[in-house]
Amino acid sequence: MLPSGVFNEKYETDIAILRTKAQWFLLAVGLLLVFTVPLLASDYWLSWLIRLVITIVAVLGLHVLTGLCGQFSIGHAAFVGVGAYTVAVLTTRYGLSGWACLPLCALAAGLIGLFFGLPCFRLKGFYLAISTLAASFILVWCMGYDGFEDWTGGYNGLSLEPLRLGGIDFRSYGSFYILAISVAILATFLVKNLQRTSTGRAFVAIRDNELAAEVSGINIFRYKMLAFFIGCLLAGLAGWLWAYSQLRVNPEQFRLYDSIWYFGMLIIGGMGSTTGVFFGAIFLRLLEVLIDEITPVLIDIAPSLATQFHLSMSLILFAVVIIAFLIWEPKGLYYRWEKLKTHYRLHPYSY
Amino acid sequence: MDTFLGALVQGILLGGVYSLLAMGVLVIYKSSKVFNIGYGEIMMFLAYFIWWLLVPRDLPLWIALVLALLVSILMGLSIHRFLLRPMIGQPMMVTFMLCLLLGIAVNGVTILWLGGFTRIMPDFLPSGNLAVGGISVSYTLLISFIIAIAMFVIFVLYFRYSRIGLGMRCVSEDNYISQSLGINVKRIFALSWAIGCLSAAISGILLGSLFVVDTRIGMFAIIRALPVLLLGGLESIPGALIGAIFVGVTEVLASTYVDPHVTGFRDLLPFILMVLILIIRPHGLFGLRTIERI
Repeated sequence: MLPSGVFNEKYETDIAILRTKAQWFLLAVGLLLVFTVPLLASDYWLSWLIRLVITIVAVLGLHVLTGLCGQFSIGHAAFVGVGAYTVAVLTTRYGLSGWACLPLCALAAGLIGLFFGLPCFRLKGFYLAISTLAASFILVWCMGYDGFEDWTGGYNGLSLEPLRLGGIDFRSYGSFYILAISVAILATFLVKNLQRTSTGRAFVAIRDNELAAEVSGINIFRYKMLAFFIGCLLAGLAGWLWAYSQLRVNPEQFRLYDSIWYFGMLIIGGMGSTTGVFFGAIFLRLLEVLIDEITPVLIDIAPSLATQFHLSMSLILFAVVIIAFLIWEPKGLYYRWEKLKTHYRLHPYSY
Repeated sequence: MDTFLGALVQGILLGGVYSLLAMGVLVIYKSSKVFNIGYGEIMMFLAYFIWWLLVPRDLPLWIALVLALLVSILMGLSIHRFLLRPMIGQPMMVTFMLCLLLGIAVNGVTILWLGGFTRIMPDFLPSGNLAVGGISVSYTLLISFIIAIAMFVIFVLYFRYSRIGLGMRCVSEDNYISQSLGINVKRIFALSWAIGCLSAAISGILLGSLFVVDTRIGMFAIIRALPVLLLGGLESIPGALIGAIFVGVTEVLASTYVDPHVTGFRDLLPFILMVLILIIRPHGLFGLRTIERI
C-alpha cells in the first residue's frame, strides 16, 4: 500500500525499499539516533541494547530458515553457541586475532548447520523440529563434555581477551554497541535484500507449497540447505558478538529455552518479515526488563517466594505471552503495524 | 555375563516404564494429531503435586492418589478446552509450539509454587532387591514395570474393545468423517487429553519413586518418550511398547558399558537415537509412510 500521491513510474522506484523523501529522511534520522545512543543512554540500557542487537542478528538467521523457508528449527541457540565457541577456542587455544575469527565463526556455524540440516532432505515440519532439537542438545553436550575440556574448557567454559582495533578497546559498552549495531544493520540489509532475490522467492515458494515449488523447477534440497547455511551463518555472527559482549562462554548460555525464545520472537513479530524480527526481539527483551522491574515489588508482597520469583516469572510470562500471540494474533505484531500504516495512509477515508 | 544380563533385565523393566510415558503422548497424538511435547513438564508438575500431598500435607496414600488423578483429569480437560480447542484445524507445528510453551509455563508454575528443589518421594513401593541367580533388580523398578505395563494393557484393551475406544480409533483415522457419522469428536479429543494427563500422573508417581522429584524429570521423561515414539512410529501402539523396551535396554547398556569412559553419555543417547532414527527411517518401524498427493 503506497502513501497517497506516490506512484511507481519507473522500475527503479518499483523495486526500491525506500520510495519517498520522507522515508529517506526518517532513515537518516533513525541511523543518526542509533549511532548517537551511546552518548545518551546509561550503561544499563546500553548493555540491554547490546543484548537486543545480538538477539536480532540471531533471530534474523532463524527468520531466513523458518520465516522464509519454512524449516522449523528449535535449536537455534546451539548454533549461536557454535559461533561463540569457535571464536573462544580459536583465540585462546590457537592465538588467532578476534577479527580473523569473524568469518570463521560464521562459516563454522553455517557448516555445522548444514550437517544438522541434512535430515531436511526427507523430513519436514514436526520431524525436522525434533531433529534440530536433538542437534541442539548434542551440540551443547559437546560444549560441556569433560573429554573436550582441554579444548572447550568443559563446563566452566572459556574466557576471552577483549577485542581491540587500533586504539579502540571494545570493552566499553559504547564502542561495543557501535560494533554490534553495525553488524546488525549489515545483516538486516542482507536479509531484507535476500528476501527480494530469486533465492528468497524460492525459499518462500518452498515454505508455501513444497510440491508446487518442486514442480516449478526449484531444487528443493539445494535451497533448503542454503536456507540452513544462511540461517546458521547469521547465528554464527551473533555468536561472535555474544562471545565478545560477555567475554566468557559456557554451555549454560545456549540452552533450549533460548532457542524457544528466539522462535517466540519470530512468532510475536510475525513470520516472514524482517520488520517483524525487530518487533518480536524488542517486545520480548522489553518484557525481560519489565520482569526485572516488577520482581522486587512482588518479592515485597510475597517474601517467601523470593528465591524462585525471577526465574519462574520469566518462564511463565514469556510462555504465556507467546501462547497468547499464537492463539489470538498468529500473524504477529508486524501485521498490526501494517494495518496501522494502511489506516494512517487512508485516513480519513476507510477504503 | 551377569552384568550384561542384569543390564538387559533392568533395561526391559525401565523400558516398560517408558512405554507408559509414550502412551500418554500417543493417545493424544492419535486422536487429535497434537504432539504434546509439554507432557514431561505436566508429569513433573503432577509428581510434585503428589509429593506435596504426601509430605507437607501428610495425607494418606489413597486420598493423595485419588486427588492427584482427579487433578490430572481436570488439567487435561482444561488444557484441551482453553488452549487446544481454539487451535483446531491449525497446522501441526502450531499446536506443537503451543504444547512446548505450555510445558514451559507449567514448569514455571511448579518452580514458583514449590521452589524447584529436589524432593524425595516417600517410598510406598517396597524397597530392597530381588535377586534371581546373579541378577538383582530393585523391587521399586519391578513394581513400577508391572504397574506401567498393566496401565498400558488397560489402555490398549480400552482402545480395542470399548465403544469410546472404537470412536477414538475412528477419529484418529479421519475426524471429519467421524463427525459426520455422529461421533462426538470434541468429546473424544477431551477424553484423550484426560487419559493423556492421567497417564502423566501415573508415570509421574513411578518416575518420582524410581529417581527423585526435581524440575529436570520433565525433560528427562520427554527426551525418553521422543525416541520411543519415533522408533515405534507415531501411529502405532505396539510400536510404542517395542520402541520403549529398545530404548530402555540401549540406555541401561550404554550407562553400564559406555558411561565409565564417556561421562554423561546416558543423557546424550536418546538424542543420538532420535537423529539416527530420523535419518534412517523417519516413519519408524510401524508408522505410516505418508504419501503426498497433489
